[in-house]
Amino acid sequence: MAELSFPLPDLGEGLIEATVLEWLVAPGDQVERNQPLVEVETTKSAVELPSPQAGKVVRIHGGPGEKINVGEPLIVFEVPDDTAGIVGTVPKEEAPKRRVRLSAVLDED
Amino acid sequence: MSGRHTGEQHQHTVEGTDPQLYVNVVDPQDDAGLRPVLLLHGFSTSSKLNWEDTGWITALTQAGRRVIAVDLPGHGRSGAPEDRDSYSPSRIRADLLQIAFDAGARPLRDGDPASGLDVIGYSLGSRLAWEFGATQHELVHRLVLGGPNVADPLAAFDLPAAQRYLADGTPIADDSTAGLLKMAQLLPSNNIFALLSLIEAIKDEPFDPAEAVPPMPMLLVAGEKDERAASMPELAALGSKAGALVEQLVLPGRNHTNAVTSRAFKQGAIEFLGV
Repeated sequence: MAELSFPLPDLGEGLIEATVLEWLVAPGDQVERNQPLVEVETTKSAVELPSPQAGKVVRIHGGPGEKINVGEPLIVFEVPDDTAGIVGTVPKEEAPKRRVRLSAVLDED
Repeated sequence: MSGRHTGEQHQHTVEGTDPQLYVNVVDPQDDAGLRPVLLLHGFSTSSKLNWEDTGWITALTQAGRRVIAVDLPGHGRSGAPEDRDSYSPSRIRADLLQIAFDAGARPLRDGDPASGLDVIGYSLGSRLAWEFGATQHELVHRLVLGGPNVADPLAAFDLPAAQRYLADGTPIADDSTAGLLKMAQLLPSNNIFALLSLIEAIKDEPFDPAEAVPPMPMLLVAGEKDERAASMPELAALGSKAGALVEQLVLPGRNHTNAVTSRAFKQGAIEFLGV
């Protein structure tokens, strides 16, 4: 098994940080891709971030009320080794959408 | 997600002119066989910010519900008509009725769970939903009203001061007016002059919840730190007095801005409407 870490994604409009409102998953949970992971709030709005990855949650970063900067670790998944090998090639949805999408950090091993 | 009709414009206009409202109809993958759900966003936001990015459309469609999300005039992907009439709450309600029918909603029939329409509103959207329910009881089945007001905060907006500020930067004395204008200017998708037209129209038709009360079951929801939570029992009393079944839900730790993503809010709404 390998660990795969995802940072807080760019939320657009020049926003550099977000505050965690509530985690919807906990370490040990098995989550599906697109399952809601966490609610965060920026200075402009509150958003729900869907999971970019299916897998078991190993760690989550930031409790309710804590700020996370864009690019800092948000969540770490445990995935089978062969899945970790295709990091970053998250399958495309049927139509392009302007939806916030997390992307993988490649320097994790 | 199947059957997504992005950007579908409604086919019929009310009172002659096209209100240029953006309508997004999303079909569920597994239809629960229940009536569609109309979503009405708040002032200075959009169906994308209020309902899509917050996970509402996903949660509702996963619960098997067909969703009709509308951008209010001057908001999101809707047009910004020049005539003031397009922004009046009564005209917006007439346009919403037409949109609902064009999207397939049908009047309530006893024993037919697919008939009628459920409505979820937030803030200004809850005001519109309250009035829509009060006037369309042959169509509306149940209401969920988030961050509901008992009076319109927009009715006290100092319009001349806002116009002076936009023209030459004259500072706005009234804090509420300054705050609302700042919020409106934060979003590049807002047409600021259209939003001022909406405020002007609301001042002409301020919210009076006692004037017409929806008779159908309603769920009132507000964040614990939203001052509207304190006045929610007043709305509940109005509804109960008119014979409506009224439930209230207060979301711990949440305010008017961040109550909207709350899981408890979504689950409460889905359960309340799932009958």
